[in-house]
Amino acid sequence: MSTPQEPIETPQSEEPKAPAVRWVRTPPIDIFETENGLMLRADLPGVATEGLELQIQDNRLTLFGRPAVDIPDQGALVHQEFETADFLRSFILSDDVDHDGITAKLQHGVLEVLLPRTTRAQPRKIDVQSG
Amino acid sequence: MALFRWGSAFDAFRDLEREMDRWIRRLDMATGSRSGRVFPALNLYELEYEYLLVGELPGVDIQDLEVSVAGGQLRLSGERRLSDDVEDDRYRRRERSCGAWNRQIQLPPRVQEDQIRAELVHGILKLHLPKMPTTEPRKIAIQDASSSQLSLPGGAE
Repeated sequence: MSTPQEPIETPQSEEPKAPAVRWVRTPPIDIFETENGLMLRADLPGVATEGLELQIQDNRLTLFGRPAVDIPDQGALVHQEFETADFLRSFILSDDVDHDGITAKLQHGVLEVLLPRTTRAQPRKIDVQSG
Repeated sequence: MALFRWGSAFDAFRDLEREMDRWIRRLDMATGSRSGRVFPALNLYELEYEYLLVGELPGVDIQDLEVSVAGGQLRLSGERRLSDDVEDDRYRRRERSCGAWNRQIQLPPRVQEDQIRAELVHGILKLHLPKMPTTEPRKIAIQDASSSQLSLPGGAE
């Protein structure tokens, strides 16, 4: 992932300094299976718990994060590689997910959501009795 | 069986549109990264008395981050470990970049290298790069070569 040396002082194309409209962007995520269900991790740099909204409606899980990065107003953007926009992404959960058991944690700008499987979906051994 | 599906068809379309937008902009930037997504993404702001370099470093611990400066070059490096030994076949989706990273940036001119301050909060790195104070223009006296003789202090005759 190393990048060659690059000059950073080259001014980029003019960008509106304080856009009236807030843009949203899609955060990169990882989803993997664990013993109890699925683990979702999303990169939300700059987002604190106050700026995070996690919502489930019907079977849709929506995450919305507003980064709290305070740049002084008079700051002129000289070089840009990311947008200071809100994060938005939503997912459709299957019936296998135990909605009430969902837990989330936010640390160092990374959101971690554990989506446990409903017990019904977990493999269960059925005892067979001899008659 | 997939527990996740993309939202409505429209959502997916909007995502794609946004992705394209970003991709084009990224090409514009010609950052030279092979993966397409530079890590960490950096923005540089110019203020009256300082430059502010803001980097997105989600999930990076202070211990895993190294910042050094020398001769007008700022070097940021570290390693990003994402998941505690999760086997590859357990992943349903893998978009977050990981591994060792390294970026070198040429600082703007006239930055006080010994006064650089760094902070890392909620995965955002902020580097304050104070500018050197501007000096008052100083007038340099020009002597008339015919009327005065150049004498060097300590110059023995």
